[in-house]
Amino acid sequence: MSLNELTIKILLTTTVIWLIACTPVQPWERGNFAKPQMALDPYPLQSALRAHNYGSREAAAGGNAAQGGGCGCY
Amino acid sequence: MGVIKKFSGNPCRNDGIGLSLKALTAAALILPGLFHPAAQAAEDDEVDFQYSHYQEGKRDILESETTRKNNANPIEVESIHGGAKISLTDRIKFAFNYTQDTWGGATPIDSGPFVAGANGAIKTIGIEEIDSIGAASPLISHRVFFDKNLTPYKQILKDGQFIHVPDKRIVHTLAIASPETRKQGDFKLGYEWDNAAIDIGGGISLEDDYESRFGNLNGRLDFNEKQTTVNLGLSYTNSDIDAILDHDIGSYGNESNFNQYIQVIDEETNTKKIIGNRQDWGANLGLTQVLNKSASLNAGMSYTRSTGMLENPYKRVEYFFIDPDQTPNSEGLLQGGSNAYIEQRPHERNQWNWNLGYSQYVQPLDAALHVNYQFFHDDWGINAHTFEGDWVQPLGAGWTVTPRIRYYSQEAADFYQPYFFSFNKRPSQRDEFDPALLQQNYSSDQRLSGFGTLSGGVTVAKQFAKGLSLEAGFEYYTHQGGLKIGGGGEQDFADFDYWTANAALKINLAALGRGASGSDGGNFHNHHTSHANAPAGVMVAHTLDKAGDIMLGYRYMWNNQDGNMLHQDSAVSLANLQNKGCFSGQGHFNTCLAAPKSMAMHMHMLDLMVAPTDWLTLMLMSQFVNMDMSLRGTPAFTGGGNLAHHIANGHETGGIGDTGMYGLFKLWDNPSHKVNLGLGFSAPTGDVDIQLRRAHHQDGGFVHYNMQLGSGTWDFKPSLTYTGKADKFSWGAQVSGTKRMESRNKSGFALGDMFQGTAWGGYDLTNWLSASVRGVYTWQGRTKGEYPRNKIDFVPTPETEACPNESFIIDDGNGNISFDQAGFNQCIVEIRNANKEGLKSAIYTDDAAYRSNPADLASNSGGQYVDLGLGLNVNIPDGAFAGNRLAFEWLQPVYTRQTGYQLDRDGALSFTWSYGF
Repeated sequence: MSLNELTIKILLTTTVIWLIACTPVQPWERGNFAKPQMALDPYPLQSALRAHNYGSREAAAGGNAAQGGGCGCY
Repeated sequence: MGVIKKFSGNPCRNDGIGLSLKALTAAALILPGLFHPAAQAAEDDEVDFQYSHYQEGKRDILESETTRKNNANPIEVESIHGGAKISLTDRIKFAFNYTQDTWGGATPIDSGPFVAGANGAIKTIGIEEIDSIGAASPLISHRVFFDKNLTPYKQILKDGQFIHVPDKRIVHTLAIASPETRKQGDFKLGYEWDNAAIDIGGGISLEDDYESRFGNLNGRLDFNEKQTTVNLGLSYTNSDIDAILDHDIGSYGNESNFNQYIQVIDEETNTKKIIGNRQDWGANLGLTQVLNKSASLNAGMSYTRSTGMLENPYKRVEYFFIDPDQTPNSEGLLQGGSNAYIEQRPHERNQWNWNLGYSQYVQPLDAALHVNYQFFHDDWGINAHTFEGDWVQPLGAGWTVTPRIRYYSQEAADFYQPYFFSFNKRPSQRDEFDPALLQQNYSSDQRLSGFGTLSGGVTVAKQFAKGLSLEAGFEYYTHQGGLKIGGGGEQDFADFDYWTANAALKINLAALGRGASGSDGGNFHNHHTSHANAPAGVMVAHTLDKAGDIMLGYRYMWNNQDGNMLHQDSAVSLANLQNKGCFSGQGHFNTCLAAPKSMAMHMHMLDLMVAPTDWLTLMLMSQFVNMDMSLRGTPAFTGGGNLAHHIANGHETGGIGDTGMYGLFKLWDNPSHKVNLGLGFSAPTGDVDIQLRRAHHQDGGFVHYNMQLGSGTWDFKPSLTYTGKADKFSWGAQVSGTKRMESRNKSGFALGDMFQGTAWGGYDLTNWLSASVRGVYTWQGRTKGEYPRNKIDFVPTPETEACPNESFIIDDGNGNISFDQAGFNQCIVEIRNANKEGLKSAIYTDDAAYRSNPADLASNSGGQYVDLGLGLNVNIPDGAFAGNRLAFEWLQPVYTRQTGYQLDRDGALSFTWSYGF
């Protein structure tokens, strides 16, 4: 499976899930999403720190090359 | 928040929702994170601070079987972060961040067969066995025996005969890095529409050897009634590499494969630099979808293209050359000789990432589960999988506990091996690089090997009233070849672990504002505009008004020294300095070979003030400090050796400083005149035992006295402050002091006592801006005691030092290397006999004496100083940022009288931000 095929499949799968799962949720029904624990990233400060540690210790940089982070030359 | 405005912009659903319902749903529409991933500034306005500590575990270099101990502390990193997110208008958001890391310690630079004796680790002749040859090199020896399957062999003595047995073990070679500091500043500016947002960001990251500039552009589009959000981002990074080659390795390794990037910056000392550039382009696309009332899904992909110098300039590769024309020994083994090259990576890398995440609200527990999977692929042959999950559990009373777990597994890069072979005659170290002898790319960086990692941790957060929240986190991480999915990971020599701990303080400015208009009413801002107008450089100048008040402050001080070396108050030439500046007493009179050229100290302080009663204010002040010094040689410095390395690199230190605890007592308090007495202590939380790395087989020793991070002693810090105010004029005076309560710290010295007197006058230019003029007199006592001096241990002569292997290596100059085993054995026997007869060698640890830099002598410390200060104070009386106070002050030296020989002063800048609750 080439990379392009993989990308297309993932995109298609995601779109299908999106369409199927799309039961309308009215704005007044979204109270759960307003809770801090449901934030996509509840602790962005710590996440940035952990990403920096992982990024200087692992080969997969996570696709955020332009957030800085320095050489990590250790 | 403008949330209703946003909602009303949706054409599909707006018609069915009445105004009252809009108000009802407003709270539900504050969706932190979920609908604002593009513009992080889109949430409430916030100021945050974070401190973190990273500590790696010791690497296993098979210490038990070697003569050299692995005493070096592994990599340790101290970081601080400060940031703010501010709404400039309802729709324009601005965020900025400052991050600083100081790191140092022992880290692998390459790997090789254990029998080759990396880390100078050898077991000399034993009654039962002899390991193969080591050398004094931090890298490895030149000769190892291999069989036809390329298994390394070690030599042992059995029944009076030397024979070889297989030994497949591999070890890292460790190198020690002196502390270095990285600083990064970045910003984001965003604009929000009702159903979209765009932001532009950029920043710079600075290290001595690496400078990186980056920019990014992100867009967000909400549709389907905000149930669906699409994000698109583009980024670009341009980095310059400017790395000084390690002298210690330079003399043993071969850098000729990097000649095109190497510049000799100093012929005399043969100091070389690698100069390079790399660029990274990235694009990412993300989708967030609300699935139902309690679940959402996010999916994304990204592509990054990197070009240029992608090598780590400090990583080496051991290449074993096996001459195909050689005759195998009697056991059929072949000899391989090694050269250490700088690693070589492709100059292009294309990386793809796909991720899928799911968030579920768990109603019965009021908790949330987040899981995420990520697949990574690049054209270096690496595929990696990451699985992450966390559970956010609120506990009530503002407490939240979040355990998390993460598993990561990667395959090795195509060009990774722990060491390499070339079936050619070994070129000599002096030979020019011949690319035909090596493969195109090669790296032994363990980060490109196959391995898995498992990490887990917990975050505890507490939300206080008035918008203040604290977070603390801990994580443990283990890297193991055996954890790789499907097996086949790197051997366990590359395993290591680390832990990190961090603490963060967040202040939600919007919540503070709400609190103010609620309970405190109109008098909220008054209590710290009336008497808090002291210049930024004056500490503990004011108390809080009444019981229950809280104030949070951040203070930054930058102190710079530059210019001439001074003796008392007059400049002294380097030629004079070299003869007089390094007198260390007790009969030692050294010539100064180096002197400071500039020295900067940066202090970041966070202080919390609380008033338990009307007449007492308690204050806790934590500090993070970092310092850097550049050096110059005196005329007596002729280049070369240990010192050249230090002069070329300069020195840096950084980390937690001392912690102050103060009680401030109101002695006199009326609207025009206030007097307070401060009684404080400083706890020795800053390190005072930082040492420089070994270079040229000499210990660097303790870093300069004034570059340690604290005093190392408990200090008493009293102060008496008077402030006055009439109409637009304000004035004040303070006397303060520091008395060291111990005669020496654990490193053998105590900084001098200090006394300071200051007086100032200020004038309110407007209702929010005032200016001040200040005079300061400071007396600083001399440092007492000193680092350990001439510590002599008498020990049996180490065999490795008496009979260094390199003395027995015979190189005929044509690449033929042999070892004089008979001579080596004879030498060992003689030393053993001498040791048996009790002859001992003196081992000197002479840190305080024989130092050749005036900054390393306690006698060159202290002095008397007069400064003139010019300051500006900003008090924001109303509006969104009401209650914030900013102050700046520049201190210009007017008179300097240094005790002994010290660097002149350049000035000091103070900046403070404070906020009263």
